[in-house]
Amino acid sequence: MIAVVVVRDGVLPQGADEAAAECGGRVLLAGSGTVMAAEALATSLAGQVYLLELAATGFQPAHFAAAIAPHLAGEPHVVLPASADGRDLAPRLAALLRRPLHAGAIAVTPSRVDLARNGGTELHRATPAPEFLATLLPGVRGVTPCPGAEHTVEVLAPLPAAAAPAAGGPTDPTVVAVLPPDPATIDLSEAPRIVAAGAGLDGPERIPQLTAVGRAIGASMGATRVVTDRGWVPHARQIGTTGVVVDPSLYLAFGISGAVQHTSGLGTPAHTISVNTDAHCPMMQMADLAVVADANETLDHLERLLGRPAEGDAGTMQEGVA
Amino acid sequence: MSSPIIIACLKWVAHPGEPHDERFAGASPADRAALELALQQAKELGGTVTAVTVGPPATETVLRDAVAAGADRAVRVDGPAAMLSSDVAAGIAGVAEGAAWVWCGDYSLDRGTGSVPAFLAAALGAQQALGVIDVQFAAPGPAARVTRRLDGGRREVLDVTGPAVVSVEGAVADLRRAGLGALRVATSASIDVVPLRSPARRLKAVVQPYRPRAMALAAPDGSPLERLRLLTDAAAATAARGETVTLAPPDAAARIVAALRGWGYLDS
Amino acid sequence: MTDVDVIVVGGGPAGSCAAITAARAGLDVVLIERGPFPGSKNMYGGVVYPRILDGLIPNWWEEAPVQRWVTRRSTMLLTPTQALTVDFRSQAWGAPPYNGATAYRPDWDHWLAGHAEAAGAQLITSTVVTGLLRAPSGAVTGVRTDRPDGDLTAKVVIACDGVNSFLAKEAGLYEHTDAKHFTLGVKETLALPKEVIDERFAVRDNHGVDIEILGGTGGVNGGGFLYTNLETLAIGVVLKLTKLGAQKARPEEIIAGLKRHPAIAPLVQDGELKEYSAHVIPEAGLTMMPKMIADGLLVAGDAAALCLAAGIWLEGVNFAMASGMYAGEAAAEAVRAGDLTAVGLAGYQRRLSDTFVLKDHRRLKRAPELVLSDRVQHLYPQMIANVAERMFRVDNPDPKPGLRRILAQERKRAGVRRRDLARDGWIGFRSFG
Ligand SMILES: Cc1cc2nc3c(=O)[nH]c(=O)nc-3n(C[C@H](O)[C@H](O)[C@H](O)COP(=O)(O)OP(=O)(O)OC[C@H]3O[C@@H](n4cnc5c(N)ncnc54)[C@H](O)[C@@H]3O)c2cc1C
Ligand SMILES: Cc1cc2nc3c(=O)[nH]c(=O)nc-3n(C[C@H](O)[C@H](O)[C@H](O)COP(=O)(O)OP(=O)(O)OC[C@H]3O[C@@H](n4cnc5c(N)ncnc54)[C@H](O)[C@@H]3O)c2cc1C
Ligand SMILES: Nc1ncnc2c1ncn2[C@@H]1O[C@H](COP(=O)(O)O)[C@@H](O)[C@H]1O
Repeated sequence: MIAVVVVRDGVLPQGADEAAAECGGRVLLAGSGTVMAAEALATSLAGQVYLLELAATGFQPAHFAAAIAPHLAGEPHVVLPASADGRDLAPRLAALLRRPLHAGAIAVTPSRVDLARNGGTELHRATPAPEFLATLLPGVRGVTPCPGAEHTVEVLAPLPAAAAPAAGGPTDPTVVAVLPPDPATIDLSEAPRIVAAGAGLDGPERIPQLTAVGRAIGASMGATRVVTDRGWVPHARQIGTTGVVVDPSLYLAFGISGAVQHTSGLGTPAHTISVNTDAHCPMMQMADLAVVADANETLDHLERLLGRPAEGDAGTMQEGVA
Repeated sequence: MSSPIIIACLKWVAHPGEPHDERFAGASPADRAALELALQQAKELGGTVTAVTVGPPATETVLRDAVAAGADRAVRVDGPAAMLSSDVAAGIAGVAEGAAWVWCGDYSLDRGTGSVPAFLAAALGAQQALGVIDVQFAAPGPAARVTRRLDGGRREVLDVTGPAVVSVEGAVADLRRAGLGALRVATSASIDVVPLRSPARRLKAVVQPYRPRAMALAAPDGSPLERLRLLTDAAAATAARGETVTLAPPDAAARIVAALRGWGYLDS
Repeated sequence: MTDVDVIVVGGGPAGSCAAITAARAGLDVVLIERGPFPGSKNMYGGVVYPRILDGLIPNWWEEAPVQRWVTRRSTMLLTPTQALTVDFRSQAWGAPPYNGATAYRPDWDHWLAGHAEAAGAQLITSTVVTGLLRAPSGAVTGVRTDRPDGDLTAKVVIACDGVNSFLAKEAGLYEHTDAKHFTLGVKETLALPKEVIDERFAVRDNHGVDIEILGGTGGVNGGGFLYTNLETLAIGVVLKLTKLGAQKARPEEIIAGLKRHPAIAPLVQDGELKEYSAHVIPEAGLTMMPKMIADGLLVAGDAAALCLAAGIWLEGVNFAMASGMYAGEAAAEAVRAGDLTAVGLAGYQRRLSDTFVLKDHRRLKRAPELVLSDRVQHLYPQMIANVAERMFRVDNPDPKPGLRRILAQERKRAGVRRRDLARDGWIGFRSFG
């Protein structure tokens, strides 16, 4: 097995180390700044690293796929991180290599892939074809760092034909800029306490209410993907693999099922409370206090108990008289 | 180009809140946003919108909804409910060939891999921009400046020129509400049914409830005993680690406040 | 020219049956429902009595989405520590043509609406009717919806929009509405394995139980119910709104109290809460019924307060289906005759008066008030239960007392005046006898 990881200016995507570890340390780094990326990766991994430096402004999925595919001819099992760039590249590679793609895996071996499906509520165990590609969800595997580990580096020569986008071949969009995280969510990514909204909430008017409850306990407000997709909460407040990765010490989940794409962006809170009508969903399983109750009505009562502190009055708590 | 064709790819999926009740099924918020952008772009370019779905006859409801909202044509590629993403893309590609632009949702709620759009771009030889959270149309011609998410909260701004496949998140646009007249007409609108070009394959899998994988963890510092304890605790984290209580909402709220106080998150 | 012949507002049992009859009469019918599909958000206790469908959907029992056939009906009287149950069982109710059935409303309503579509009605979902279109004369000429270009005109509008009908009110058909005419129904759905339900309720296969409960609702006047579905139980209470407000009691606590009652607890134990819902019920019967006919407008089902909520009866779906059916027929009659005024639509009133729809209501006119009265709620249960307890208690060496003596003593102890008892008894006899 070999991991294929896109590198942008020496920066590794989320889940690069896990994909590499899943492949026993064999990894092909492709993109710009691969040497720097190799060093960053090497602190946590022993193994064989291949570097394919591609001159490009930013990441160009069609061009990258064409450049990488020939190097994978003898590699029957290829794993990419299911990060944004992995999602772009994997289908393109699969199409060029004419192999099936098993996207969104939580575990990959040559003879078995475990896939998260249906919003992370189901696990599909499948036996793959002899040759395949897979993408591995970040944050589900973990890695054991081994400082000072031995690794070998081999620099691959770009094949001449693939070095530049062929005229008339597939084109890529032009990268205009890569923007840093949205400043509006800095409070979220660094928040020590977070209250989060899930699909169990019954309407957008629950969001100000949740925000108020959060404010009363000094917590920032985040949400799941389902909620941001509904437009109740700006997408920048989405917590999870495709959103903000957070690491609070206190996490309160209201009507959140705890799909892997959400929880893998959650860090390791010291205390987790989950309010959900389904006692058996993953979020309830991982909570320190799992409350089986209607999240909406519970919010009504919490708001009453904690009071509605004035705007910007974070951290202070008024004891309401019930 | 005479009258550019713009494609919206819509998948019929169960509502995540009612996964066992197909009567709530329809297009996901992301697919609905894709349709809205297709309608907006068609207006800008003076083109037409074709709504496409791959699936059995029951999935035609998403197409009727699309026609009600303003799609000019509806095509169902006749196929089974579950098939490989690459085969879905091949099915759509048969309809989308020659299109100026293809709009998709960024991932489907059930399968949820977001790979159909990239397969489609590969099959069409089109540009791709996936997971888009903002779209600005650039006149004239089929071009747009889009912003998409990268990991770690970073975002990427791209200039896309058609033909292109763009997949969008649900919050990018709200699908317009269909007019009553349009809705009534759509219930009897004709839907073109085309066969799949190649046989549909599906991955055989054993389905079970999701269980997290045991995580590899950094060896903690400290005494061997402490390490052992931490490691075994961490292992236990995959199993239920806390207390489960079933309470009426007022008591639930009180219990939460008590827990917060007990853990020291509330003063007094 | 109107857009269509008939617009039916609301895809509940009343609306779908109205659409079925109107469409079968050859009219162009549109059925408008606000939910994503008919029944999606509709709730009720859980038992339907579909006899009225015999003519409309022959052999309906072969296709209706039924959970269990009710072959056991119990009426239970509860005091905090006592329970007196009258239990009736009939195997005949478990075979065609059947009597009552438990069913889920999303299934039931969806199924009925399917028949409306099959009959040719056009079903429009996710669309809220927001108002009536009126001619200068005041006659109703159509509806306005929340959709763009959302007006639709029709010869007749049939309002089947449920309790507190906003359309009937807008048309000025309700003279007055009063909180004291409504009860609040709240219900929990509890999941249990089928075998456990079968065993606890002593039924087999798809046979089920309907228990109506008097008492057990604490200080708030009302009643309770407990029904068996295949793999769930429906337990709920129906509470007098005015008392609920005055007592500042919370409905969920009242259900919790009922579930803790020693006669109920073993039946519901370990049931996993699947759903909690609440809905207002028009309870006052004839007392509150609006005018049901105006020019171009008919009102049916709960929208016309046709629900029968009188103690051991909690029937609304059958009244809704029947009144809807008659409204559809009357609308067709009027369209055919070309008279869309209240006079032309009067066939509706005639049909209601000639059938159980109004006959039952006339008979039971005073029953709701009686059943929810303070005496029936707070004094009689204790009195009756004490009588039963003393009848069945063995007080040896004392000899068994006579029933008349016990009755007299318990009546006094309960503080019930003989005159009141006689009067209530008479009303009860007139209503239920
Ligand atoms: C490629 C990809 C990337 C993704 N990235 C992310 C990401 O970054 N972040 C993210 O969050 N998701 C992400 N997802 C989506 C993820 O898979 C889940 O679909 C999502 O996290 C589910 O959100 P949810 O828990 O709010 O909704 P659901 O899974 O629908 O859960 C709703 C929960 O509410 C409960 N509930 C219902 N009613 C009530 C009530 N009245 N009271 C209390 N509880 C109630 C239900 O029991 C259920 O547990 C991604 C998916 C894919 C495929
Ligand atoms: C707790 C409880 C227990 C009950 N138990 C029983 C029982 O066991 N057996 C029984 O027979 N009856 C029972 N009933 C009564 C029964 O539910 C009603 O009598 C029955 O539902 C009335 O049917 P309907 O079609 O008139 O109205 P509804 O069932 O209320 O249907 C109205 C429909 O109109 C739609 N609608 C409303 N407004 C609009 C609008 N503006 N635009 C578009 N659509 C609209 C609604 O979405 C709904 O689908 C119970 C009621 C309650 C609350
Ligand atoms: N069966 C299908 N029919 C039409 N479009 C589809 C289908 N499956 C996926 N898509 C499109 O591809 C997007 C991503 O889906 P997926 O790759 O399955 O996560 C969806 O949001 C749709 O726009």
